Amino acid sequence: MNQFSLQQGMSRELESFPHVKEFALTKNTTIQLDSFIPSRANCLLIYCIVDGKFEWIVNGRDYILYPGDIAFVLPGQEIGGSRGFLEIGTIYRLHIDIGVASANRALGPWSTLSPCESLSIEKMLLVNNLSVLLKVKEGIEILHQIHAELVNPEIGHVTRVNHFIDSLLIIIARQSTRQADPRRDFPRTFMKLEQALRRDLSHQWSVEEMAALFGLGTTSFTEKVKHHTGFSPLNYLINIRISEAIKLLKRHDVNFTNIALDTGFYSSQHFSTTFKKLTGYTPGQFRKRNLLNDNS
Amino acid sequence: MECIITIDLGTNAVRVMAFDLKGNVIAATKGTYPTFHLEADYSEQDPEQIFITMLYVLKNFLTEKIHPQNYVVVSICFSASMHSLLMVDKSGIPMGNAITWADNRGKKEAQELKNSPLGKKLYESTGTPIHPMSPLVKVTWLARNDRERFSKTHKFLSIKSYVLQQLTSGYVLDYSLASATGFFNIQKLQWEQEALDYAGIDAERLPELVPVFHSPGKLRKEFQTSLGLRDTVKILVGSSDGCLATLGGGVWDEGKAIITVEDSGAVRTVGRDVIRDANQRLFNYVLTDNYYVSGGPTNNGGIIFEWYAKQFGDFRNPFDIEHTIQNLIHEAAEVSVGSQGLVFLPYLLGERAPIWNANARGTFFGINIKHEKQHFVRAVIEGIMYEMYSIGKTLQEHRTINSLTVNGSFASIPLCAKIIADLFRMPVSIGKNPDSIAQGAYLLAATDMGIFKSMDEAARTVVLSTTYSPNLSHHRSYQRYFSVFEKLSTRLNAEFEELADLQHEQP
Repeated sequence: MNQFSLQQGMSRELESFPHVKEFALTKNTTIQLDSFIPSRANCLLIYCIVDGKFEWIVNGRDYILYPGDIAFVLPGQEIGGSRGFLEIGTIYRLHIDIGVASANRALGPWSTLSPCESLSIEKMLLVNNLSVLLKVKEGIEILHQIHAELVNPEIGHVTRVNHFIDSLLIIIARQSTRQADPRRDFPRTFMKLEQALRRDLSHQWSVEEMAALFGLGTTSFTEKVKHHTGFSPLNYLINIRISEAIKLLKRHDVNFTNIALDTGFYSSQHFSTTFKKLTGYTPGQFRKRNLLNDNS
Repeated sequence: MECIITIDLGTNAVRVMAFDLKGNVIAATKGTYPTFHLEADYSEQDPEQIFITMLYVLKNFLTEKIHPQNYVVVSICFSASMHSLLMVDKSGIPMGNAITWADNRGKKEAQELKNSPLGKKLYESTGTPIHPMSPLVKVTWLARNDRERFSKTHKFLSIKSYVLQQLTSGYVLDYSLASATGFFNIQKLQWEQEALDYAGIDAERLPELVPVFHSPGKLRKEFQTSLGLRDTVKILVGSSDGCLATLGGGVWDEGKAIITVEDSGAVRTVGRDVIRDANQRLFNYVLTDNYYVSGGPTNNGGIIFEWYAKQFGDFRNPFDIEHTIQNLIHEAAEVSVGSQGLVFLPYLLGERAPIWNANARGTFFGINIKHEKQHFVRAVIEGIMYEMYSIGKTLQEHRTINSLTVNGSFASIPLCAKIIADLFRMPVSIGKNPDSIAQGAYLLAATDMGIFKSMDEAARTVVLSTTYSPNLSHHRSYQRYFSVFEKLSTRLNAEFEELADLQHEQP
């Protein structure tokens, strides 16, 4: 296969795909100094090795990449050659503008992933914090297909290309979970989830998002969480929310609405009802009880 | 119908069980909470999360299992894991997380005290080995390394004291848990002044000492309402997990011992007097007046086998460790006694009794070219059991043991129970209620209600189901392997130290 380079704004092939900034297959036959100096990405970059051996710094770590491996960086992360140049070999490059992530949609309107799925994928990539995936079987194949559709547009090619990009993202997310976690140690992976929940407690977590971190479906995930913790995933989350809320209630300086929103309740009303149901106290009564010297 | 509820605030989870007044289990449930390791030696838990988890679990349990069957809860009896330490300020608000038994930050302080004449004296008067697990050592660490928190602390509590204060009022600590703090004189049943002086606190800053049958007061109105309980429900302070597991295992007479192996493990006996081990290897905890639970704890129980399974077992389905472990146990059962000469030291987490060496590490010894995977599997199981045996042998220097009860998820595996029977050359029984802590708490509450005249009578009602008899020829083989194990367990000390330094350098 010959090398090619499609650039947004220059190549007609990308006209219908404003989110694809660049798509290229590079066959590098000579080493040019400073041809690949580590730099910060401004969109999602996906590199797939077709041929050769590459030593890169990806997101702050050194890697050696071989054919089939995928390196990807999120906006703001760095990628480049360890010695500042691109080694001899063949690589695919795909730059995607994932736009501004919003609460209901992490990817642009081109994607057919549901808002929940794309949010889950984003969470998986962030939590796993893995930038290099080893031997991604389908990676090169999908990139070939994208190329074929782009250079030979037939009816439905816009949909097909976008589907392939979605597929690539799904495969990257799944593999990053498997690679980050050999799926043997449930308690350890659960601890990772626990940390993710606490880091982002105000987020309205769905069971799908949580299950994605384990690479499990929701049914199997819920069953395993129940077995491990005694709670359903959402009840476990409420548990953390109330525990954190209690700590805030015991400080003078935070008002109820802020406590409610910071700990992930929809409103202070929702917080108050849930809190009272469990503890028998309204948040106000609880704060009063604990701030008076209640050691009698 | 009336019922008794037991609540165990354990290391990883709160476990709730309900018993009718005949001692039948009505239902059981649990809820886990996480342990945080902010630094390598730290092991902490969030007291608010423990409290809320307990409340949540209890509420669901009552609503789903107890109220629909029209049971009236007459008594709630508590137990908790030992050695936890929680600092609260003068408003009763926790200052940071609770520090668990597994926390090692006080290594230096422990070493220093243990090797001093005062250390030996304090071990004798308090019964608690001088070790980072001990709240005495933790408070000393705090006084030296976190002066501000130390000074602001109004009370140094255990998790259970905090939970009971939240539910009722007032800070109390039962004799059993107190006897695991290193601050408690186990013969006089009061705080030990020399220990207080050493840590630099006065008794005012510790909770009020109470017997295990004490009730800290009524459940607060708000909780009566949210839980749907009557104001007549009696809250019993109860005891520690170790003491109650011993009682619940029916080990109450001379000549008996109980081996518990969950993640970690212990061998325990009950006696009318305290064991004074010259090498400070054994603990003595108080259950009630003149009943002492003595024994030794290990860090390396079922958790070590689980580690092995996670690394080397075949996982057919993601996270399906139960299945993986079952298969490994099958493989191990096919291998003959002694794993064809392969010996394993299970000290992956350092070790407490009997070697008390935090820097000890795991070792496979004697690998030859014929060894296959299944020999390693069996060697790991045997190694964990050799460790239980070596604690048992230490205990036998002070107590006569003729029969054994085992409990805990790992020791109750038939292969493990058989190995224990063969090693000790003693009959081994397994209790009918797999949760002997809950069983013990029930017996305590039932005795308090007058259902049993005494703890002795209560302990005799414990039903033991399966019994394993020792096999003499296995015993002889095991003795020869154990002799190698025992020598190895202390012979590698210099190398353990050297390697510990290297491992500490790793990020």
